[in-house]
Amino acid sequence: MSNSPRLVGRRAYRPHWPVNSARVFKRRRWPGTKRSVLKLSGRYNPKTLRREMVLTDKKPMFWSVGLAALLLLPMGVASERFFTMFGIICIYAAINVMWTLIIGTAGLQSFATLATVGVGAYGAGYLSVTYGLPWPFMLLVGAVLGGLLGWIISLPARRLDGLYYALLTLGLSEFMRNFVTQSDELGGKFNGALFGVGRIIPADLLTSRLGQSLLYLTAFIALLIALVVYRWVNGGRTGLLLRAAATSKEDEAFSSALGIDFNKERTRVFIIASAVLGFLGAFYATYIGGTSLQIFSLELLLLLLAMIVIGGLGRAEGAVVGTVIVVGITQWFTDWGPWRIVLVGVLALASVLFTRNGLFGLKAQIEEIRDRRKALHRAGITSRFAEYLPQQAPEVHDKSEIVGRVFERSLRERLRSWISPELLAEHEAKPLGQHSDRLERMLNYFRKAPIPDKYVVYCEVPFESYRVVALSGLPGVPPRIVDDKKYATLDEAYHAVFLRRVNDLRAN
Amino acid sequence: MAKIALTGYTDKISVAPGESIDVKVSADNATTAHVEIVRLIHGDEHPDGPGFLEELVVADCAGDHAVRKQFVDVGNAVVVADPSNRLVGDGPMTLWAYVFPTTPAKGRQVILGRFALQENAGYALGIDGQGRLAFWAGDGSDTDEVVSPVPLIHHTWYLVAASFDPRSGQAALLQQAVVNPYNGRLGKVAPFDHYSLVEQKLRIRPAAPSSPFMWGAAQNSAPVRGVFKEFLYNGKIDRAGVIGAALTVDDLRRLADGAVTAPEIARWDTTAGYGESGIDDVVRDISGNGLDGVGIQRPVRAMTGYNWSGRHDDWRVAPEEYGGIAFHDDAVIDCEWDTTFTWQVPVGTRSGAYAARVTAGDAEDHIPFFVRPAAPTAPILYLMPTNSYLAYANEMIVHHVPVGQAILSHPAVLTEAEADYYQDPRFGRSTYDHHSDGAGVCFTSWNRPILNMRPKWRSSAIGTVWQFPRDLSLIAWLEKKGYAYDVATDHDLSRDGIDLLKSYSVVLTGSHPEYWSEGSLNALEDYVADGGRLMYLGGNGFYWVISYRDGEPQVMEVRKGEAGMRAWQAEPGEYYHQTSAERGGIWRNRARPPQKLTGVGFTTQGFDECHPYRRMPDSYHKSVAWIFDGVEGEVFGDFGLALGGAAGLETERYDLELGTPPHTKLLASSTSWSDNYASVHEDILFNHPGTLGTQSPSVRADMTYFTTANDGAAFSTGSIAWISALPCFDFENNCSRIMSNVLDAFIKPGALPGGAWDQDEKSWT
Repeated sequence: MSNSPRLVGRRAYRPHWPVNSARVFKRRRWPGTKRSVLKLSGRYNPKTLRREMVLTDKKPMFWSVGLAALLLLPMGVASERFFTMFGIICIYAAINVMWTLIIGTAGLQSFATLATVGVGAYGAGYLSVTYGLPWPFMLLVGAVLGGLLGWIISLPARRLDGLYYALLTLGLSEFMRNFVTQSDELGGKFNGALFGVGRIIPADLLTSRLGQSLLYLTAFIALLIALVVYRWVNGGRTGLLLRAAATSKEDEAFSSALGIDFNKERTRVFIIASAVLGFLGAFYATYIGGTSLQIFSLELLLLLLAMIVIGGLGRAEGAVVGTVIVVGITQWFTDWGPWRIVLVGVLALASVLFTRNGLFGLKAQIEEIRDRRKALHRAGITSRFAEYLPQQAPEVHDKSEIVGRVFERSLRERLRSWISPELLAEHEAKPLGQHSDRLERMLNYFRKAPIPDKYVVYCEVPFESYRVVALSGLPGVPPRIVDDKKYATLDEAYHAVFLRRVNDLRAN
Repeated sequence: MAKIALTGYTDKISVAPGESIDVKVSADNATTAHVEIVRLIHGDEHPDGPGFLEELVVADCAGDHAVRKQFVDVGNAVVVADPSNRLVGDGPMTLWAYVFPTTPAKGRQVILGRFALQENAGYALGIDGQGRLAFWAGDGSDTDEVVSPVPLIHHTWYLVAASFDPRSGQAALLQQAVVNPYNGRLGKVAPFDHYSLVEQKLRIRPAAPSSPFMWGAAQNSAPVRGVFKEFLYNGKIDRAGVIGAALTVDDLRRLADGAVTAPEIARWDTTAGYGESGIDDVVRDISGNGLDGVGIQRPVRAMTGYNWSGRHDDWRVAPEEYGGIAFHDDAVIDCEWDTTFTWQVPVGTRSGAYAARVTAGDAEDHIPFFVRPAAPTAPILYLMPTNSYLAYANEMIVHHVPVGQAILSHPAVLTEAEADYYQDPRFGRSTYDHHSDGAGVCFTSWNRPILNMRPKWRSSAIGTVWQFPRDLSLIAWLEKKGYAYDVATDHDLSRDGIDLLKSYSVVLTGSHPEYWSEGSLNALEDYVADGGRLMYLGGNGFYWVISYRDGEPQVMEVRKGEAGMRAWQAEPGEYYHQTSAERGGIWRNRARPPQKLTGVGFTTQGFDECHPYRRMPDSYHKSVAWIFDGVEGEVFGDFGLALGGAAGLETERYDLELGTPPHTKLLASSTSWSDNYASVHEDILFNHPGTLGTQSPSVRADMTYFTTANDGAAFSTGSIAWISALPCFDFENNCSRIMSNVLDAFIKPGALPGGAWDQDEKSWT
């Protein structure tokens, strides 16, 4: 315990820089929204009073760096293996972000994610193969099909809860797989594979580095679209309302009492996310020039689930980083064979067992552990009337409190040494009026105590019944009744207050 | 069933027979209440006295009355009447004001604006939840804001402004500190860089709200309750205005220099209106558009402004430096309740202390008022110290003052009613309390329920009755002894002056007549100087300066100055009253120590024990020995409903240097008190060990007597506890005897007893 002072008093770091106040501060917003481009707030540095600008929300910084790396890394390396892997990362990440919207924001345990993607892929792919539909229309068809399917799947969500809904949606994937296998038009005769879908980048370009880069760029844009939709829905009013209500059944009831139409909002989110999933399916088909039954496989679904679990449920950044990790493992360490899957399983298991909410829940979790250790550490070496430690001083705004404790501690020590049966007897004999010097000094200390938790007498019936209570010191908070004892006279009550105060003095 | 609660107040403090008085009642969880009018006889339930005594009076208003809950719209604001809708906010505009926020971190506050929260409509310049300057616009369904990057620092003057152009949506916000060595809590050396100029496009155009343009508040409304103020501001606002153009950031930079020429919709000059008798509640628009504002719940004026130079401590010398108006989110001057019933006081009703007794279920309240005589009916006038009742109205010392129990030298004794009231101090505070931003409360009013001005009420701080319920013990004594007397109040004296007093042979005071206006003090002094007879039966009297505005005696102003035993002290430069243009503080510091009028003046206070008096040698002189006829022994007053003695709580001393008339006889004194009795602050230049009861000879209570011209006289007991000693032993005791001796002599016209013994004859009994 005592060997951990390095952890005590450490503060969260936020980027900050000095400000020239003479310049006009132009607050810019994202077009059409009330959201600031960057969440900046000014402050006076508490150590120097220097005027500073602080970046209060560091996420945009991390997103920019992360996305730039995601975009530039494969383009810089320009190996086909990199392009393939990062293309998959982008597409899976986009799917996961939408799934996060469904599970996290809408709070629906749906496993129909890949079924929706597959419907978009097969539907748009079929139209492309059969009628030569150009890719922009494929994307549109995918979105419409996805949205429609989303609406249909959202209907039972009003009736079914948790596990049953999950099973139902899981069954949907299996149904889709069977449907495709038995349907000749959808490639049933080629074991469910649909070939020859029109590609988003002409096939002849794909052999060049430019073509590969362009193709990768489209996958990256698909991810950006998913992220924008996520931000729009989750950060918007609907998302706010849903997240306010999503934690428990009681909260659902509470939010409907507040006038939030829970089911309607949930359905809306579900349909939007499904439309994007359908769109992503169509994009996938035109991205690789076909589609296969693997999309409906339980294996892929579980892999996606592992990504979300490892990254942290309910957060876009979790979905993206989880995807990078899992796809990285499965695509890069191909020579490990089945052990990659074991590794993914172990990681997923570890994040379920040891983290509260995946990778991105770790920060809060660690901070909490640190706060708890800090509090325990301090509690171990201080008590209510002990002097402040150097590492506590920065948290005390009014330094008079610090020196006040120094004084109070020595005063209390002196007073404590005076407690004696004679002193108590003197007070009991005559609670009010002139007392011996020591008793008088002790009483003055007691009487000058701060208001919070200060003892006073409570008069139940004048001249008949009194009790001891402690003031709250807060308007709106009633006094606390300290015990159930009643006193017939004021003098007895005064003495009861005195004894309590002496006990408190003794206690520390 | 929910708990029933009843309370109320009257429209007048005193009423004469033939007039009527309106009673305003609010009831929680009751729809009817039973009403009786009672005459109050005794209000202290201490078992050594007669207990609570009241006498039912036949009244036309007695019976059941419909009651309902009445609300209080708490907090200061200035409301601007705007009949031609110039401030509707549909065009380009700029709002500006000099402000001195005292609690910027307390939550949203409106400085200037017209915003209806219930409609989400309007615009306002204010302070956001993080203490930052903000401009808000609401279009009827959604709101938008522009916010300054750094928080406002409390107790610092700023020029703040917001401009907005509804065509482009462009808004700009200026915040610029005005710091000189005097005008704020911090000086220039605290290196805050307060300046900020922000530009941002708003997505929303303000819609016209149904609420008025206000300083210091937005409007909200709720079912049952109706409209009320919210987002209340704490702090001062000096000059302010509205410009009918959206100033650019370059214009805003030059706003403080006054170099901006733009069409003005309003320019409020908060320094306009000071006059011989102070200043009213009107905030004057000097733009020519007539958009004057009126202060609600009396914002405090005559406060230092942003440009206070520190050279003047008096608004009368430099009104241009006194533009500050202080706003408080907890100020209550008038509950503005509807009348529940009216008592037509019949001609012939005897003068006295009365109450409307209102009951419903288990709940009961006595709503007090006074019936004064239409014309004097007796030789005795009991002058009830209603100023002092107002000063202590709804006092909550034990809840706010950490050293309270040390001052009062015992743990506080709380009652249920007080604990409840502290949960929700909706009827405002006393001049012994502070506003929520720490400023002392300088206005107190009758237009609200006063919880502690009730028979039976025991002060939590003191542990005994205090003020009104104690003063009823003198009524009980007068009744018991069969004296004919009239009752009038400080407020009657303030209105009628010496005319109220001059037909009476003797005037009796209450136990603690502490607060005096100059006019009333003059009237009483003239009365005593010209043959009137005064029985000053209290302690710590004639102490604080107070004033009312003409025609508004219900609202009293107190500014506690640099001396005196005081719960707070006015800020430097703010000692002068706004309702009377005179210096506030203690009368002693205005060269009128109480000794000059009564022979004695405040010397100590303590609340652990009360003590008996001991006769002093003077009392055996034949000129005054008659006062002690029938009193056995040297010691008297070793009993009482107040901590067991007649001398104590707050007491007075004889002091020639403070103007006790040189021929004053020191009849009795009480000494050797505990260290919980401390010397008063105004006696102490250097503080040193030894100013407390066991070591200081000035810690005592003196009883004095002196004669004045034309057979006048003043008898002073010098102790708050005196009146509480009278009811002991069924009113048959040595204090009671002394009272009768003096009163019997004072009633009789002509020469007073003992007057002949004015030579060096052998005059010792």
